[in-house]
Amino acid sequence: MRTLQTLGRMPIGLTVPAFAILIIVFGAPIVLLFLTSLNAPALSIANYQAFLGQQANVRVLFQTIEVSVLATIICIIIGYPTAYLITAAPKRLRMVLLVLVIIPYLTSLLARTYAWIVILGDRGLINNLLLDLGLISSPLPLIYNRVAVYIGMVHIMLPVMILPLVSVMLGIDKSLVAAACSMGARPFAAFWRVFLPLSLPGVRSGSLLVFVLCLGFYITPAALGGLRDVMLSTFIAAQVATSFNMARTAAAAFILLGIAAVIVSALGLDLSDTPGRAEQPPRKSWRRRLPSFGTLTRNLNELAKPYRAKRWAAELYQVGGDGRDRKIVGTVFVLIVMFYLLFPGVVVITMSFNAGTFLQFPPSSLSLRWYRSFFGDPSWTTAALTSIQIGVAVVILSTIVGMLAAYGLSRTVPRLRAILTMMLLTPITFPSIVVGIAAYFGLLNLGLIGTITGIILTHCIGAVGYVVVIVSATLGNFDRRLELAAKSMRAGPLRTFMKVTLPLIWPGVMGGAVFAFIHSFDEVVKTSLISGFSIRTLPLKMWENMRHEIDPTIAAVASLLIFLPLLWLVALYVTWWRSRPKDQLAVPQL
Amino acid sequence: MSVNVRHPVAAEGQALEATPFPAQIEFCGVTKTYGQVTAVEGLSLTVQRGEFLTILGPSGSGKTTTLMLLAGFEAPTAGDILIAGKSVASVPSYRRDQGIVFQSYALFPHLSVRRNLDFPLEMRGVKAADTTRRVDRILARVQLSDLGGRMPSQLSGGQQQRVALARALVADPPILLLDEPLSALDRNLREQMQREIKSLHKEFGITTVYVTHDQDEALTLSDRIVVMRAGRIEQTDTPEALYDRPTTRFVAKFLGEANILEDTAVEVESDATRPFGTVAMIRPERICVADPTAPQRSDAIRRQVVAGTVDDMIYAGPLRKYHVRVGTSVLVVREHVASGQQIFRPGDEVRLDWLRSDVRFVAA
Ligand SMILES: Nc1ncnc2c1ncn2[C@@H]1O[C@H](COP(=O)(O)OP(=O)(O)OP(=O)(O)O)[C@@H](O)[C@H]1O
Ligand SMILES: [Mg+2]
Repeated sequence: MRTLQTLGRMPIGLTVPAFAILIIVFGAPIVLLFLTSLNAPALSIANYQAFLGQQANVRVLFQTIEVSVLATIICIIIGYPTAYLITAAPKRLRMVLLVLVIIPYLTSLLARTYAWIVILGDRGLINNLLLDLGLISSPLPLIYNRVAVYIGMVHIMLPVMILPLVSVMLGIDKSLVAAACSMGARPFAAFWRVFLPLSLPGVRSGSLLVFVLCLGFYITPAALGGLRDVMLSTFIAAQVATSFNMARTAAAAFILLGIAAVIVSALGLDLSDTPGRAEQPPRKSWRRRLPSFGTLTRNLNELAKPYRAKRWAAELYQVGGDGRDRKIVGTVFVLIVMFYLLFPGVVVITMSFNAGTFLQFPPSSLSLRWYRSFFGDPSWTTAALTSIQIGVAVVILSTIVGMLAAYGLSRTVPRLRAILTMMLLTPITFPSIVVGIAAYFGLLNLGLIGTITGIILTHCIGAVGYVVVIVSATLGNFDRRLELAAKSMRAGPLRTFMKVTLPLIWPGVMGGAVFAFIHSFDEVVKTSLISGFSIRTLPLKMWENMRHEIDPTIAAVASLLIFLPLLWLVALYVTWWRSRPKDQLAVPQL
Repeated sequence: MSVNVRHPVAAEGQALEATPFPAQIEFCGVTKTYGQVTAVEGLSLTVQRGEFLTILGPSGSGKTTTLMLLAGFEAPTAGDILIAGKSVASVPSYRRDQGIVFQSYALFPHLSVRRNLDFPLEMRGVKAADTTRRVDRILARVQLSDLGGRMPSQLSGGQQQRVALARALVADPPILLLDEPLSALDRNLREQMQREIKSLHKEFGITTVYVTHDQDEALTLSDRIVVMRAGRIEQTDTPEALYDRPTTRFVAKFLGEANILEDTAVEVESDATRPFGTVAMIRPERICVADPTAPQRSDAIRRQVVAGTVDDMIYAGPLRKYHVRVGTSVLVVREHVASGQQIFRPGDEVRLDWLRSDVRFVAA
């Protein structure tokens, strides 16, 4: 009790548990690993030279960069207009469209990747259809090539691009565009000179996020690409499995990390020069740079804003002819994007009710056969139970630790807060294979490889990152004076926190918990390294299945995983939406 | 310092200039509906060249909608809008050549003050040298010459407001629209900006349509005021006429305080002349309060007299306000504080009287 109170007086102390886990599982090992890769104490760059000396390695390296850049560009090209159209849509439609983007975003990556195998495979949806129609005589090579990799990666990354964009675009005061028009700017000029520059922060955070995630991408390229489409992550993972030369592997990981750092800082610096940044109050700017989940929270807050403030030409009325055509083109575009995002899920769910021994679309007859097979097969159910068990433990641990850390961070000076937050986020901003290798190295020394505890700790460092981002965003809206008021009424720090602060930031905490669970429940890369082949989680079992035999049971599993986001949405709706009126009371409106 | 103003439309028709106030803007039976909601209904209104017209009304009465229709951001559901005699139905907002000041100022946050002011000139294809000259001039006019390099976020509320005004005026548009431009400012600043707007209006001679829900602002600034209620025009008149001769009960109550004598059950002696469907109204400052024993006034023959009891006295600076109970009802009486005046306390018996000619009949 005493220590707790001392901690309460020293806000930075609240971050201690989070940093303790981070340093043990990730921080210390990655430093050691870096030294190992330099052959410490000899300090040579021999390992790096060896890696770069091999033609094949360099090819994989460039290929990784090329694929990531291209996937990011495609995401911008598709995502920007989509986000624009979502923002411009009437309020109710906008809600629906956002939910349709969020559903795939919350859906298991494995399930979505599996859906593409089902669609593009040699016996997949498209080939079967074409064969049946007699248009082709042998299956087209749709899968296991670069195009399939792009289709899958862009599908997975598109929501990650769209959500920050929509959030930034919703924040742009529509009367600015109206003002530009009143000053003689044609619609295009108004867009180009006013809307586009103001939306660039969204483009930046979206692209950075997509690019970094792409660099560390493992599952989707490995599942959909051919032998020549190996990404560096896959390559590194293969090395861990085959050779036990830690120094070599570490060097490869640090090269990947280095590339991410170089490109991110280049991109970040370049775009952050836009004058629009000057307009951000400095308090907010550090959160600006933590995209994705914080923006999602803000996103939903935006939707809750009263409509009246943006009354001036909320929709830019186009007097004259082409308004109609534009509307049709826009509608068709959004429909295609939504189809692309959602259709794979629909296919998998439909397939899972197939009665035949092979997966067919559309199913010849319906049955629950594969669901029975899932629930009847102990290897599947044990895997599922293990995953749930790990997930629950991760949620409890990371929510408490992350919430304390976020609360502590919110009361430290901005500069320190920015640095510490960045450090806590490294497990989710670094390519996951790098995190995985570091954790593997760290837990190996602790003898935790192949244990549930090891997996929980590994998942926790990432989950804490999500909790910190989301709770921090909620704390940003929290009126500090409420705590002072409570203290003036003789409530001690602990009671103030429990009675005043916690109830008000509860939606953020719950949001963090949901994302923590999703993170843990869908994690393959790190888990596969830490599990040491002795523990099978559900994603591991699925991944194994996807790579070897395609057991149709997986369709049932994937379908269940696709239904899961609906559960999350309901959970988020209940905590976030219902808490809205309270928020509005707390923040008086002008 | 005077700015030379050329109105593009003025050059078109010399005939128009012959009359002192040729119509600049005309609303002809304009209706705007959003689904089930009718925001503006059958609005007909003429704004003269160079006039300062204020649209006044409670929240949701359709003021902003009227301005958006004029600015071209919304299209009328029915009716037509003429500017300088021509229908603008097919003219998009960016061709209407109007300066607009938005409630939130709508300064471009990513552009400096100077670049904000450049914007309208650039969009009109004004040459760079000319732009610089005009921006310098208008910056000097609104006393912001030193702040051209600042970003909007680095300005105070009043400075932002002046930049917004300058930006609306820099391209010399013939029409200026303002939607509650001062509502975000505190009282002192608001009065200062009112003077500023008034003087800019005089100087530029620009046709101005100003939207507000603040009656004092409307009374101070306007040549004419349009009072709107639920999407319809209630009355259009000069500030004096509107206050002195409101035609409806709504206007009487919305602008200033009014004693509706029907509500107060005071029998009106001049009721014989009351038109059908109207009620009698008297302004609080038209009522005299006196001691019941004091001698009658010399013009007593033209006055109506009632007896009452003081309920309450409120002292408000230069004014004293009495609530006087007459029978079962309460009349509000306002008098200017002067030396030697008798002050009544709650419970005092008083005599109220007013000129019968000060009673107004307003539509119920
Ligand atoms: N886009 C819209 N969709 C539906 N109803 C609308 C829309 N715009 C305005 N309205 C409705 O039209 C009516 C008039 O709105 P308007 O904004 O013109 O009022 P206002 O006089 O400007 O009010 P305020 O003083 O609050 O700004 C209101 O009832 C409003 O709810
Ligand atoms: Mg309005």
